[in-house]
Amino acid sequence: MISAGATLFSLTGRRRVQALLLVPCFLALLPLQRGIDRELATRGQIAEVLYIPSGHLLRRLSLGHEGLLANIYWTRVVQYFGRKRLGHATRFELLGPLLRITTDLDPRLVIAYRFGAIFLAEKAPGGAGQPSEALQLLRRGIVANPDYWRLWQDLGFIYYWDLKDYASAARAFQAGSERPGAAIWMRAMAATVAAAGGQIGTSRLLWSEIYRQAESESIRRSAQEHLLALQAQEEMEYLNRLLVQYRTRAGRGALTFRELVAAGLLAALPRDPSGVPYRVGPDGRAALSPGSGVDLRLLQ
Amino acid sequence: MRRVASIALHTFKESVRERVLYNLIVFALLLIGAAILFGSISVGIEQIILVNLGLSSISVFGLLMAIFIGIGLVWKEIERRSIYCVLSKPVRRAEFIVGKYFGLLLTLIVNTAIMTAGFYAALFYQKRHLSSGDLLVLEAIYFILLQLALVVGLALLFSCVSTPILSAVFTFFLYVIGNLSSDIRWFGQETGNAAVEKLTAILYYLLPNFGNFNVISQVAHGERIPGYLLLANSLYALLYATILVSAAILVFEEKEFR
Repeated sequence: MISAGATLFSLTGRRRVQALLLVPCFLALLPLQRGIDRELATRGQIAEVLYIPSGHLLRRLSLGHEGLLANIYWTRVVQYFGRKRLGHATRFELLGPLLRITTDLDPRLVIAYRFGAIFLAEKAPGGAGQPSEALQLLRRGIVANPDYWRLWQDLGFIYYWDLKDYASAARAFQAGSERPGAAIWMRAMAATVAAAGGQIGTSRLLWSEIYRQAESESIRRSAQEHLLALQAQEEMEYLNRLLVQYRTRAGRGALTFRELVAAGLLAALPRDPSGVPYRVGPDGRAALSPGSGVDLRLLQ
Repeated sequence: MRRVASIALHTFKESVRERVLYNLIVFALLLIGAAILFGSISVGIEQIILVNLGLSSISVFGLLMAIFIGIGLVWKEIERRSIYCVLSKPVRRAEFIVGKYFGLLLTLIVNTAIMTAGFYAALFYQKRHLSSGDLLVLEAIYFILLQLALVVGLALLFSCVSTPILSAVFTFFLYVIGNLSSDIRWFGQETGNAAVEKLTAILYYLLPNFGNFNVISQVAHGERIPGYLLLANSLYALLYATILVSAAILVFEEKEFR
C-alpha cells in the first residue's frame, strides 16, 4: 500500500499522465456498478442463505477465532432482524439458524440468548412469533451458562407473556431465584405469577423490570410500548365501566366522551398514553383513535 | 552468546527494513480501529467485538509476519551468498540459526507491542477509561506470542530445507493442522480402528498443538486464564520451539554450500 503510493509519486511526465487517466476509469465504474445493482434489484433480493449451516463446523474452520466469528454472526442476526422488521416482514426463516450458529460458536455470548429469545418470541411484525424456538435457545443458554440467572428470568417471561403458561413461568422464576447472585425480586415474581398470572398488574411488573434492565435502546423502546399498551388497556377498562354507568343513568349509550364530561362522570376528555383522545367505538366501548401511538396488538 | 545477540540484532534490523512489515502493521491497526465502528452496528457486544477483533488482528497479522519473514531467514542468506561471509567469521552454524530465530522473535515482540498499544488506544477511546480488568487481554497476547514463537520455529526449519514458497505453504498448513489436532485425534477415536486411533494419537502429540493457545474468546468474556495453563503453555512452547530450532540447526549443520 505504502510502496504503491510511493511508486505513483515517483512517476514522471507521460507516465504520470497515464496514471492519472486511471482516475476517470475508476469513476466510470460508479455508474456501471449502480446499473448492475439496479438490474440485480429487479431480479429480486439476494437469496437468504446460510453458506455454512453448522456452527460446530465453523468453529473448527475459524482456527481459534471463533469468538470473532460469533460476533460477526451476532451482528448478522441484528442486521437481519432489523432489516426484516423495517420491511414489516412476517417470516424470519434465518433467525433461528443464525442464532444457533452464533451460540454454537460462542456459547458464553449471553446477549445472543437474551436478545435472540426476544426477537424470536415476539409476535409478527415485531418479531418472528416463534416462542418455542425462543425457549429452546434459552434452555441451551442455561446449559452453557448455568449460573447466569437472567436466562431463567427470560425463560419465565416467555412462558408468561407469549405462551400464557403461568405455572411454567412461576417455576422458571423460582429456579432462577435459586441461582447465585439472583435478584431478590425473582422469588417475589415467582410467587406473584403463580398467584396472579394473567393480571395486568403482574404484566406491568414484568415489563417494568425489562424496561429497567434493558441494555439496548430497541429493547427499552419495546418495553415502553408494551407498558403504554398495558396502561391504555387499564384506562379503557375504567372508561368502559363509566360508559356502562352512563347507559344506566341516561337510558342510552354515549356516542362520545363529551357526553360523559357533560354528565360529570369525567373531568375532561380522556387521552391515551400517547396523548391522543380516546373515542367511543361503534360497539359502544372505549377505543383508541386512529392516530393513536399505542399499539394494543402487542397485548394479544 | 554475544555472537548470537549480534546476529539476532542484525536480523531484527533487517526485518524492520522490510516494507511489508509496515503495511501489515498499518492494516492491523486499521482493523483494530474498525472494531469500534463494527461494534456500533451490532447490539450489546461493543467491547467483546473490540477484544475479539483486536486480538484476532494481532494474531493473524503476527502469523503473516512470522511466515513471510521467517521463510526467508536462511534462504535469503544463501541466495544472496552472504552466508559465506557470515560463516567465514568465527560464528558457529548453530549460533547463526539461534541468532536468526531470536532476531525474528524480537521483531514480532516489538510489532505485537505496537499493535497492543493500538488496541489499548482503541479500548480507551471506546470506554473513556481503562481498568485493571483490561490487563487480562495481556494474557491472551502472551499466548499469541507463544504461538508465534512456534510458527517462527517452523518457518525457520522449513527455510533451511526448502524454497520460500514451499516453506510458506508447509508452515501455513502445519499451523492449520496444529489448530485442528484435537479433531484429528477425535476422528481416530471415532473410526473404532485401533491402528488408526494409535496413529492419530501419535500425530496429536507430534504436531504442534496451536489450539492450546486459543484463549481470545475467554478473555473477551473477562475470564481469567488459569495459572496452570499459563505455566504449562509456556513450557510447551519453550520445549517445542527448542525442538524446532534444534532440528533447524541439525539440517543447517549438514548443509553444503557451493
